[in-house]
Parts: sequence; structure tokens; C-alpha cells
Amino acid sequence: MSSALEIKHLCKSYGSKIALNDLTVSFPAGQITGLIGPNGAGKSTLLKAIVGLVKPQQGSIGIFGQPAHWKLNSEIAYLPDRAKWYKSHTIKQALTYALNILPGFDLPRALEMANLMSLDLDVLVSTLSEGYEARLHIILCLARRVKLVLLDEPFSGIDLLSRETIIQLLINSMLDQPQTILISSHEIHEAESLFEHVVFLNKGQLVLEGNAEALRQEKGSIESIYRGLFR
Amino acid sequence: MDSIQVGDFKFRLDLSKPLYEQVLQHIRQAIARGDVQLGTKLPSVRDLAQQLKLNPNTVMRAYQELDRDHLTETRRGQGTFITSNSETVEQVKKALAREAVIAFVSSMKNLGIDRSTTESFLKEVTWHE
Repeated sequence: MSSALEIKHLCKSYGSKIALNDLTVSFPAGQITGLIGPNGAGKSTLLKAIVGLVKPQQGSIGIFGQPAHWKLNSEIAYLPDRAKWYKSHTIKQALTYALNILPGFDLPRALEMANLMSLDLDVLVSTLSEGYEARLHIILCLARRVKLVLLDEPFSGIDLLSRETIIQLLINSMLDQPQTILISSHEIHEAESLFEHVVFLNKGQLVLEGNAEALRQEKGSIESIYRGLFR
Repeated sequence: MDSIQVGDFKFRLDLSKPLYEQVLQHIRQAIARGDVQLGTKLPSVRDLAQQLKLNPNTVMRAYQELDRDHLTETRRGQGTFITSNSETVEQVKKALAREAVIAFVSSMKNLGIDRSTTESFLKEVTWHE
């Protein structure tokens, strides 16, 4: 299985706080990988390093065989932990604007997704509940024709229905185009049946990784493995 | 997980076991038991993945395995259909029964119970139809 991402000896600290501690790990191409770990494990820092938002002190990042570089960002859709969008836009304006600034953005597909997710195109972003704002942000990522999708805590702090709608969209997206998708999460129950590969991080280091089905066979559910590792 | 009805099939998935094998088992057993008619169309990969919240690749892998056993036939652009060949179904049913017997024998052995005792247990057991 070829790798989409090769992370080697990555180190990053913020002052005296170590976020990534000599992390070496790879992520298989064309699969959904769950990047699992408690708060402070280094998940967000790793995703930020991949898109160049933080600069590691040491180590290297390979993206589809090339060293990480801002030019590769046109092939990456990244959903930050606390994503924000222009409050004064309507959904329609947000999607049209995205077409102009996000490489590979497929507007007809985005409109279809908005419809599927019951997002009213004429509603203002400022009036959206957290769940609905999360729906918008997931569309902004998944409607792009890109090779790599990085989702930082897409299920965190939103309502059940919105989480389920996002899962539905992820499944459709997998069927529509082959992509490598990384989903970071500290609460895994709902998404665990989507993961094909799982990477567990703690304190900036790799704790365990493997094919999700093989891990289930050996150790049980991903959620129970997570509990066992971090209890 | 609660049981979920998708088309003619009922699924109950356990996240602590490989999911692909469970999807495969559910469909295989439904066909073997005769719960679904021969020649019936299986749910599409998309429908099954959506209803069970599974990665589509997991569903596809199970469907490929069914195809390989000739229990189903995938027709391009039309979908996946259960075989119309009752002999194939009978063979698969026998193979599943053999697997179940082997598992049963092995658990009796683990308890240190010999063949003749096992056979007498089998004769005594109440078999609810």
C-alpha cells in the first residue's frame, strides 16, 4: 500500500511545551485514517504542519512523495479545529466565494451537498447554529477535487444530527472520488466504522497504528483500544 | 449496535469484530437460510454503506467476496444480484454448516469432552424448531 503522507522524526515545541516529539508515521493513500488521541496529543499540530501553518523544528513531511511545500496546498483541503467563515455571507455567497479562492472547488457538487445537508442557500453564516456551520465547513472541504483531505475534529461540539449528516457526506464523497482522508478526533464512537486505518497519538508520539479491521480482530473495537491505551 | 433492516437484509454489527466479515456473514446466512429469494438484487454499495455507516470500501470488499463464491453476480451498471443457482446456495450452506460443526467440536475438545459423550449430548439436546 503506497503512502499519502510520510512523517519522519517530526519535532515541534511551543516554548517549553512539546507538541510533537520525534514523530515518525505514515498514512496510507486512498483510505480514511482516524488520527486518535486525547487533547494535547499533537493531532492538530501535525495537521497544521502538513499544510505549513506551523513550522517544525526538526524532521520532514512527505506528501505523495514530495517534500511539504505551500504549493502542494492546492491539493489539500484542510478543516481547522475552529473554522470560521465570513459572517456577512449567505451560504450561496460563501460557496461562490469558495469557488474563487479554493483550488479544485466544484460548485455544482457543493450545491448538491448543501441540499443534501439541508443548508438553506439564502441564510446568513452569522445566523447558523454550530452544527449547521460545521456542515458548511465540511462542504468547503469535501466539494474540492483534491487528493488529500485533513479534518481536524469535525465532530467536536456539534449536535447528533449534524454529525450523522457529516458521516453521510463522507461516505458519498468516498464513492464519488478516491481521496486520502485524515480525521482527527478524541471522541470516536460515531466515526469508527468509517476508519480503514487508525493512528493513535499521545504526547506527541506514536502509540499504536494499524489497519482498523486487523486491530478489531486482534484487540476489539477502536473505541475500547483507545480507552485501554489512555486510561 | 441495534439491528438495521436494509432491503431484504437485517444487519447487526459489532464494532469489536472485523466489519467486512460481519457484512459478508449476514448476507451469506440470509441467502443460505432462504430468507431472500434467489435472483434478488442486493442493496447498492452506497445504500448499504449509508444505512450501516460503513466505509464503502468495506461493503465493496464483502460484495467482491460474495461474487468470488458465486453466491452473487455483479452486472455492470445494474448492480449485484443473488445467484439463481440453487445448487451453489446448497454448497455454500453445507460449507457454513461444516464450519459451524468444526467450531462446535473444537469447543467440546477445549472442555475435554470426547466424541461419544458429545454425541450423547447431541441426542439429548432439546431442538426447538
